[in-house]
Amino acid sequence: MSVLTGFVDFKSVVLFPVNRCPRKFASELILQFLCLALAAAFGVGGSGCGRKADGRVRVVIWHAKSGEEREAFNRLVAGYNASHADRLVEALYHEPEELRNLYIIASVAGQGPDLVHGASDNVGVFEATKTVRALDTILRREHAAQFVDEAFVRYKGQTWLLADQIGNHLALVYDRQKVPVPPKDFTEWIAMAKRLTVVGVAGGRASEYGLTWNYREPYFFIPFLTSFGGWVIDDSGKPTLDNEQTVAALQFILDLRDKHRVIPREGDYEIADMLFKERRTAMIINGPWSWGSYNVPKQSLIAPLPLNNGTGLAMTPMYSPKGYSINASVSDTRISVVLDVLEYLTSREVQQRNAETLLITPTHREVIASDSVRNNAVLEASMRQIRQARPIPIRPEMRQIWDGMRGPYQLIMSGSLSARDGARQMQRECERLIADSQL
Amino acid sequence: MKHRIFLALMLSPALLLVLAVVLFPFCYNVVLSFSNANLFHIRDWQIIGPQQYAAVAREPLFWNILGKTLLWTVLNVSFHVVIGVFLAVLLHQKFVRGKSAWRVLLILPWALPQYITALTWRGMFNFEYGAVNLFLKNFLGMPAIEWLTRPWEAFGAAVLTNIWLGFPFMMVVALGGLQSIPDDLYEAAEIDGASAWQQFRHITLPMLRPVMAPAITLGIVWTFNNVNVMWLVTNGGEPADQTHILVSYVYKAAFTMYRFGWAAALSMVIFAILFTISQIFLKQTKAEHRVG
Repeated sequence: MSVLTGFVDFKSVVLFPVNRCPRKFASELILQFLCLALAAAFGVGGSGCGRKADGRVRVVIWHAKSGEEREAFNRLVAGYNASHADRLVEALYHEPEELRNLYIIASVAGQGPDLVHGASDNVGVFEATKTVRALDTILRREHAAQFVDEAFVRYKGQTWLLADQIGNHLALVYDRQKVPVPPKDFTEWIAMAKRLTVVGVAGGRASEYGLTWNYREPYFFIPFLTSFGGWVIDDSGKPTLDNEQTVAALQFILDLRDKHRVIPREGDYEIADMLFKERRTAMIINGPWSWGSYNVPKQSLIAPLPLNNGTGLAMTPMYSPKGYSINASVSDTRISVVLDVLEYLTSREVQQRNAETLLITPTHREVIASDSVRNNAVLEASMRQIRQARPIPIRPEMRQIWDGMRGPYQLIMSGSLSARDGARQMQRECERLIADSQL
Repeated sequence: MKHRIFLALMLSPALLLVLAVVLFPFCYNVVLSFSNANLFHIRDWQIIGPQQYAAVAREPLFWNILGKTLLWTVLNVSFHVVIGVFLAVLLHQKFVRGKSAWRVLLILPWALPQYITALTWRGMFNFEYGAVNLFLKNFLGMPAIEWLTRPWEAFGAAVLTNIWLGFPFMMVVALGGLQSIPDDLYEAAEIDGASAWQQFRHITLPMLRPVMAPAITLGIVWTFNNVNVMWLVTNGGEPADQTHILVSYVYKAAFTMYRFGWAAALSMVIFAILFTISQIFLKQTKAEHRVG
């Protein structure tokens, strides 16, 4: 694309040509500027990272860590910088969606961070846009041998992400005072939720509920779907939603709300989260990112989601390894420094500390086997849930699947569609969006 | 000649800035709208002709969203203007005490960051715990409304939020306009026996027109393109993409679905619509004409 800069012979263009007519002058100026801007837009120029003026080698990391995890990460980075006088690691936070979008745009233009930390479901999009480097031939063998297999996120035969944690798996969080023993199956679950739902005074509506979760997001629907034997996508990337399993799962959720009346009438994330924090609901389905705010283990505890005793299948949420990918624009000359930082950030010491203080599920073999992790009730429950979970599909079509599911799912929950029509519409919508994404 | 050089020197920074932030993105968008740029062709996109425009016209939600966008714009701007002018006229009255305090109070919605206001209103629209339904139930004895889960109710929630956010701008503009109307006109009208309504109808409104017409045009463009409020109150078009306006749909197509070519084509359509509306409105209101 640098050819574009050669489109105009800049030396021949005088900035303020006094002997030319204004119209011609203006058009030349516009052309000159457009070429420069296009060249800039297409990434003529190097990566945003490199050597600083003070001679230190700069490594930039973009991440989406929030709350305590972000603070711990910043301390970690500061520690690395303090012990490496010739290097400077800079960590920059972005909200997850923004992180993915900005990263793709930056990387396509040959800019962006050296390392990007995020969930494995970004990998399909990163691979499609060719914005990350395959790790198979880059990682040192001794380093790679330290991790469990789930730490390597592979797609189309190559590894694109090295995970330092397993996350995003939904589990049951319950109030210890209200729920002495977590429910094992749906029968126990519904009975318990009914007992714990207290009908309030205002308008006869329940003011405390047995159970809650974000039932506007299809990600939270997955454990219900799997407990009836369903899944969202097949191996060829086609959605698999128009079937009896989806209908049964949707109907089950509708029954929880309208027949058993154990969940709130509206269930977005903020409301569900607030109700549990205010102890106005006994159980919530939520992921590891939230557990720290639920005063675990003093006030609440984690348990794997219960079994559907109608089908004999466990509720199986998705999980996604989270970790580091290397920007495709990182050159071979810089890769050793970037790898050194990566090894530090995924090291045993760092993962051990994260597991013990932040309750983050590790991927390092020695940390997983350590006493402090095995004897930790929260991590132990978290790992039991991960064993009862499926990895999130990495295919780029998942974006269309989530979006195609979301609309009909919300219409079902608002009573505008029946479970059967909703399942059919989910399928249609996903197929349409996947077809549209090709144009 | 020296004069021309001087002019060119003085204009060039502004011209460069306009080229950088207006003309280049616009031209780039035009090119993208004829391309197949998407997730799978982000590096190797090609010009494919007007196919994206045809796809925009075929989009099942397009006409529905266009209708909602027009309704959204008309409702919001009408209420902004009516409430803004009403409050400005009220504040302009001699009998009103503590005018500065009232002005500050009424400008507050405009001074707050939009996203904070939008998210606060979203919380207030919750079915069971939101302030709006609690007010409806406990003070007016009305049934609670499912504001955020039904398409038209969610649309209404976004409109209410944006009305609250937008009237102070019109009020401030109208206040400025009112202060420039000479008192003699009202005194003369009073001597002629004109009622308050007649004074408003024949003096205030015509004198406000040159000030309000550009403000309304701006209001139309801003409201038509106001992605923040609609996106945040309805959580990105919920339920089921039923509460999008065109610009939030473009945002979603570009940054959630990575359909860059299609989103560029749709934004060109939006540009054409806005350009036409603005031109018609300015012409109809003769905003550029001086009064008197």
